[in-house]
Amino acid sequence: MIEIIIKETKEFLRDKSNVFYFLIFPILLVFLLGNLLNNSDMAEEAIGSVRIHYMIETKEPAVILAIEGFVQGVSDQQNILFQKTEDIDLSKELAGNDEIDGVVVFTGHTLETAFPLEIQIYEGTNRIKNRTISAIMNGFSQVNKAVNVIVKNNPQALASSLNDEVDLIIEKDLGINRTMLDYYAITMQVMISFMSIMLGAMCFMGERQDKTIRRLKIAPISQAKLFLSKVLGLLPQIVMQIAIHMATSVLIFGANYASNMLDNLYLFLMFFILTFTIVTIGAVYGLCVNVNPMAVAMPILWTMMFISGTYSKEIFIDGISQFMPVYKVQEAAFDLAIFGRYDKINSVILVCILISIIMLMIGAFVFSRREEQ
Amino acid sequence: MSYVSVDNLVKKYGEFTAVDHISFNVKKGEIFGLLGPNGAGKSTTLNVITTLTDFDKGEVVVDGRDIRQDKKSIKQLIGMVPQDIAIYNHLTAYENVKFFASLYGLRGSKFTKNVTEALEFVGLSDKIKAKPRKMSGGMRRRLNIACGIAHDPQLIVMDEPTVGVDAQSREHILNSIRLLRDRGATVIYTSHYMQEVEEICDRIAILDKGKMIACGTEPELVSMVTDVMSVYVETKIPLGFDREAFCKKTKLMPGVKGIIAEDSLIRVDISIEQNSIERIIQEFINYELPINNIKSEVPNLDTLFLTLTGRELR
Repeated sequence: MIEIIIKETKEFLRDKSNVFYFLIFPILLVFLLGNLLNNSDMAEEAIGSVRIHYMIETKEPAVILAIEGFVQGVSDQQNILFQKTEDIDLSKELAGNDEIDGVVVFTGHTLETAFPLEIQIYEGTNRIKNRTISAIMNGFSQVNKAVNVIVKNNPQALASSLNDEVDLIIEKDLGINRTMLDYYAITMQVMISFMSIMLGAMCFMGERQDKTIRRLKIAPISQAKLFLSKVLGLLPQIVMQIAIHMATSVLIFGANYASNMLDNLYLFLMFFILTFTIVTIGAVYGLCVNVNPMAVAMPILWTMMFISGTYSKEIFIDGISQFMPVYKVQEAAFDLAIFGRYDKINSVILVCILISIIMLMIGAFVFSRREEQ
Repeated sequence: MSYVSVDNLVKKYGEFTAVDHISFNVKKGEIFGLLGPNGAGKSTTLNVITTLTDFDKGEVVVDGRDIRQDKKSIKQLIGMVPQDIAIYNHLTAYENVKFFASLYGLRGSKFTKNVTEALEFVGLSDKIKAKPRKMSGGMRRRLNIACGIAHDPQLIVMDEPTVGVDAQSREHILNSIRLLRDRGATVIYTSHYMQEVEEICDRIAILDKGKMIACGTEPELVSMVTDVMSVYVETKIPLGFDREAFCKKTKLMPGVKGIIAEDSLIRVDISIEQNSIERIIQEFINYELPINNIKSEVPNLDTLFLTLTGRELR
């Protein structure tokens, strides 16, 4: 058995296409997309100073005091410049002409009425500065139970605010502040594990193509043992593949998987068992089907991945089905990586072990019965 | 005593009968040839003997053991050289031979010695670190043989091992097979190259459309259809030469079966057993007939195949 494992490893490492598809290509993807995603986390431009005119229309002294205190506090920062205005129309015009960045009017609240303080924000032309003003005023509103009313000055900004994203993305709190790369590294590893179906399929199809399978079959070794040796011969490659991907993501691109070493090892274990399971499925495919897995298995896999949901930073992208294996594995991986929970990952490991055993039994049976012409 | 015994072997693929009641025995230490055109059933027969293919009827015994009941121990005795080159392109010549030998449980110093010897045997000892894709077709064929013999098999099954090789490699391969026989191995050899089979096989079975149509040594097979060979003499017949008297006298010579004289070409049919070419030449000299050219035509396996099936071997 050890000879077969050594032979499989040598062949794998010496085959340039294998090395590219299973080792270099995933690293390349992490490198390219990792860089891209890391950059997408950064601000596109410096905000600079934000000039805001404000007017207080409310007559409540306590509220006026709170507003003045807030404005004073915020204005102490170098970049946020609040300036009181007496001519609201002029200020609005200045905001429209980009001479100031926005106008805020505090209005509507008296002790006699139950209406909350209303903060009217007249936006300027700069989208990012508008968001900044909105964020500042949100902070005040949260404390003082006020209501923000945003008035768009700029028709272009108004148009761009009709954002479909709201319909597509459901906000979901994933607990920890992470970069996109952290999520991508896990998603990518799941994808690599599923793509290992090629590794399993080619393990027997390659022998058939090289015509060496008949030589193996006439050797005085039981056919079941031969099948197992061939599949187990892929273990070093599986370990290499996962280890290289995880190590590259962490050490070179600074991605985080789980928060501690033990959880990371457990995550590694799950990926290892998952990949081995996929390899056993591929091996049975390679024995039973004589069609290149690139043409059959990969489209099925990609379709499955496409209709599965996935995670990204602070958002969950809803797929067509949440019952796809790809989704279930991702869910389990994120559950451990982010929340440190083991339930789902244990289920995945258990199911994978069961499937592996079944596949190995089917494979050994088929290999023993099948005549190679 | 026969080392391999095939009795009434039948192998069907659905409705198609690939091997139809074939029987033959292979003696220990002989090279036994299976000759026949493509689709004759040679490879299927070999697949059965090497345990690769199950069969529908009949009995196959190797070294006194039934192939169905004692498959594992029979596998240990067999070395297979398949028709297709079956080697790993990413492993070196040495690693290829070593890997296949390891499947037969060889270990230790004998293992290393066998691997080295197998490569020396096929003339690749200077190519042990070379990868197959860097080798010529002939070298790859020889490596294919080395992979099949490194574990010292008692029975070596070779399925068209010389397909597509140059003359030099072919000669090397044929010499190697003779050497294996001389070392005590029994060889079953298939080919559709008649000359090759004639050259190296001690006994030959001729197959066609799944049936065995003849089996024996080459002279035995040829004598099944004829014992006559033809001698063609090109001469210059002088004016006034009594052609009829010459023919009559020659025909009376021992071993001469017939004579035909057409212009300057005279054909004499003689018995293969009583080869009398020398006496015929002497007769031409006695009659002062110049011999410009002389050639003999001995019937061969092709003639046999043609006679038995009405088709040429290739």
